[in-house]
Amino acid sequence: MIHIFDGATGTMLQAAGLKPGACPELINIEQPEMIEAVHRAYIEAGATIIETNTFGATSLKLAHYGLADQTVKINQAAVKAAKKAAQNSAKVAGSMGPTGRFIKPLGDLDFETAYDAYHEQAAALAGAGADYLIIETSIDIQEMRAALLAAKEVCHLPVICQLSYSEDGRTVTGTDPQTAAITLDALGADIIGVNCSLGPEQLLPIVKTLAENTNKPISVQPNAGMPYLENGQTVFPMTPEDFGYWAPKLIEAGASYIGGCCGTTPAHITAIAKAASQTMEPEHQAKRTGLWLTSRSKTVCIDRDLATVLIGERINPTGRKKLAAEIKDGSLLSVKKEAIDQTRAGANLLDVNMGVGGIDQTAAMKQAIIEISQISDTPLVIDTSDAAALEAGLRAYPGRALINSVSAEPERLASFLPLAKKYGAAILCLPITEEGVPKTAEARCDTIKDILKAAKKTGLQDGDFLLDALVMTIAADTDACKETLHTLQLYREVFGYPSTMGLSNISYGLPNRPLINSNFFAMCLAAGLDAPIMNPYDDSMQATLSASAALLGRDPNGRAYSRNEVNQNVPKKAATAKIIAMDTLSAIKAAVIDGEKEGIGALIENAVKEGKDSNEITEKSLTAAMNDIGVDFGAGRVFLPQVLLSAEVMREAFQKLRELLPAQKAQNKGTVVMATVKGDVHDLGKNIVSALLANSGFKLIDLGKDVDSAAIVRTAIETNADIVGLCALMTTTMVQIDKVVQELHAAGSPAKVMVGGAALTQEYADAAGADAYASDGVVAVDLAKKMVKK
Amino acid sequence: MPVYNAPLLEINQKETRRYAGLMKATFDEDMIASACLEARLLAKPQGIWQIYDYDAKNQIVLGKPSFTIKGGKIGFHLAGAEKVILLAVTVGEDIENTVTKHFNEGHYAFSMLLDAAATTAVEQIADAMEKTIQPKAEAQGYNMRWRFSPGYGDWPIEQQPELIRLSQATTIGISLTESMMLIPRKSITAIIGLIRENPDCRKDLPHGCAACNKKDCLSRYK
Repeated sequence: MIHIFDGATGTMLQAAGLKPGACPELINIEQPEMIEAVHRAYIEAGATIIETNTFGATSLKLAHYGLADQTVKINQAAVKAAKKAAQNSAKVAGSMGPTGRFIKPLGDLDFETAYDAYHEQAAALAGAGADYLIIETSIDIQEMRAALLAAKEVCHLPVICQLSYSEDGRTVTGTDPQTAAITLDALGADIIGVNCSLGPEQLLPIVKTLAENTNKPISVQPNAGMPYLENGQTVFPMTPEDFGYWAPKLIEAGASYIGGCCGTTPAHITAIAKAASQTMEPEHQAKRTGLWLTSRSKTVCIDRDLATVLIGERINPTGRKKLAAEIKDGSLLSVKKEAIDQTRAGANLLDVNMGVGGIDQTAAMKQAIIEISQISDTPLVIDTSDAAALEAGLRAYPGRALINSVSAEPERLASFLPLAKKYGAAILCLPITEEGVPKTAEARCDTIKDILKAAKKTGLQDGDFLLDALVMTIAADTDACKETLHTLQLYREVFGYPSTMGLSNISYGLPNRPLINSNFFAMCLAAGLDAPIMNPYDDSMQATLSASAALLGRDPNGRAYSRNEVNQNVPKKAATAKIIAMDTLSAIKAAVIDGEKEGIGALIENAVKEGKDSNEITEKSLTAAMNDIGVDFGAGRVFLPQVLLSAEVMREAFQKLRELLPAQKAQNKGTVVMATVKGDVHDLGKNIVSALLANSGFKLIDLGKDVDSAAIVRTAIETNADIVGLCALMTTTMVQIDKVVQELHAAGSPAKVMVGGAALTQEYADAAGADAYASDGVVAVDLAKKMVKK
Repeated sequence: MPVYNAPLLEINQKETRRYAGLMKATFDEDMIASACLEARLLAKPQGIWQIYDYDAKNQIVLGKPSFTIKGGKIGFHLAGAEKVILLAVTVGEDIENTVTKHFNEGHYAFSMLLDAAATTAVEQIADAMEKTIQPKAEAQGYNMRWRFSPGYGDWPIEQQPELIRLSQATTIGISLTESMMLIPRKSITAIIGLIRENPDCRKDLPHGCAACNKKDCLSRYK
């Protein structure tokens, strides 16, 4: 049966006399007959479900009108009005709209504050007799999760969950319809859908994707087309006929609840009701097998016909002192780095374990889940034995997570399974009992059966399970490998669920462990391993995976394998050709120009051994190189970062020279006092100029940033500076240049003044009385050399 | 009211190259990638915006108290706007401190790339925030003008305190020095006009690099 929702309410209320800027929900108690009339119009038009006038009736929204304390009353009155209008000829859906704020860390609203607000609203709507709850127009999956969890907590009514998508097919905060369908289905939504922001034509592919990814009924409430502006008014272009035209298409795509959003009227609803009555509803059956996990913006599937899914194991402080110490100090920098690096190395899921002794596990897990989710879209596996930490992680996670792990131990079953059900998580089933690890494959299967039985009793179902085959050490147990392989085969035959395991335990105590591990890995993949938990940086394992994928037909005709191998045979740097016989001084010059830091120390040593002195090396190699670079930079052939790489090589070269020939006086072309002027805290540009000058033979005194004119002048006098270099980046700070120039003259300093910075120009420099304006660091070196020659 | 701290799932390497003045030069891509990665790790993206009625004729933002915008170009840019959005975003101070640290350790090029990646990041955060505002504006029948900041054209940077006040930037940790510099330095404040007409149909100021007087800038689009 096709259910027909109503259409837009706001415009009808305005037409009936609601003043712009007034709280639309207040009429539920002040003028209930006004809203009853709107409901009746829609029911007469053919709506079978009407939505209460409570879209903005959370206490968070009502607070804008100073009505937060009337929340319950307003929601109750809305249901009452709707029921009165419906007279049992239509169902009543309690509408719950967005809070208008983003949930942390995307915004400043606490998840729990949003949850509490929805809890209050859902309880009022359900208590007053609504038939459904509808959470709609949400653009943030976390807000939707908070509302859905609250709705499920207060009642058993069917809950409709509708997100709004932008033209790129994602919500504003990045969630795509597949990810939404999987996340919300698991979390207990009864009807999953989409409304607002787009017209029926644009929503069609979204409806289709939703229907392909969940067996729950699909709902859709489009706007009356894409709006445009006419005489300063927003106009929705679709006529009722045009709108009705799309109804059969939306039904064919999988929708069984249809209505309208912005710009729709009772006439639009009549049109879709009529069209729907003439449309056969296709059987809706999503083609989903396997285990599906999501992050905020990405879905990953573990299934036997798909590519092997790597679970990265590196976010785990066990046996990693540095990482453990960092986590203990409250820093998640390395944790976040591991998240990004493992993903780049090919991990499809990330295991997150915060098991550091002496810290608050619950707080640490929550923070890690929040911060990783903000920087990475790879779905997460929450790895803990602590139920409180697990719940904190699951609650904070904006997707469908995997729980690592649930064993057959009664306490674990009792505490973890209800959390998996409540938060829509999948579970990694570990065949361990109170007595320990069952030795044989058959015994492991029996244990898994016990776990599955308990899990299904809690409400989990097919698609929620990943089975661990368990790996023991062959050094201690001859049959360890054989039992694991047999377990993998039995898992496929008996249960048909995907499998996982950590691999490296197999080789414990043996020499050349990588060899054993990679061979074992290949065997397990052949036996049916779907999702290994491993170190994604391990090249030998990655090579085995790539070869196995080709062998097992997961990489058709070995195409990806071929691409990888061919790429690896190409030398990474085509730099080998440069080893042309070159004298040492030329080689040093070439190294500086090319920014090759690695061999510079050895080259300087060679030059010194050949009897070259500091001056000769500096003049013929280093300075010569910098001159060439300067010319190339000026001509636009070389760019600033490349010049800086050369400067880094120069720095190494000078350090080496000082180390080898400490007695020889370093070249000194002149003394430069550098500073960013008072009030200005930019220092990168000034630092670049300082580094280039220092590496061109000048003696540098860098006073830093935000430097008072008096300090600059004093230093210039004390050091008998040849040049004063001033940096100012803002129109508000460049006036300081005038001040320094005047004070230098007044103090009788002979130093030349060179200036630079984003806001400066030659004209300004001239007017301020500076001797030169340098547009960049290379020009500054050139100018400085000319200044000291004079 | 609304705070939006956009996730930073990647930092655009092409823009990072441009801000570093690399243009199309061949350069160690791994170094650029690792600068972008480090910036992602160090960034703490935060953003906030507020919406106000706007008196376009007199260039007055109708906040409490109100704020009169100085400058002909900004006035032209906001002509016809009924409302304006004042926004502020930042990536925090950690990146900046790390840029300095790398430079002092002699990693000049990497330091510069990290600085460029941070600039790219803060622009991306502002873009992402605009993307979240856009549907709300469109739902009310408005089109958004491109964002304009104090210091562009003839809009005096001395008006920066008003942007901080009206965007409520201090709630996300942005402050201002006496010389009108934003702290953390990798921050943006801006104004966006909301107009009823189609922006494609009106005469526009040149913007981006074309509008900037710094003709010798290493990052300028040629």
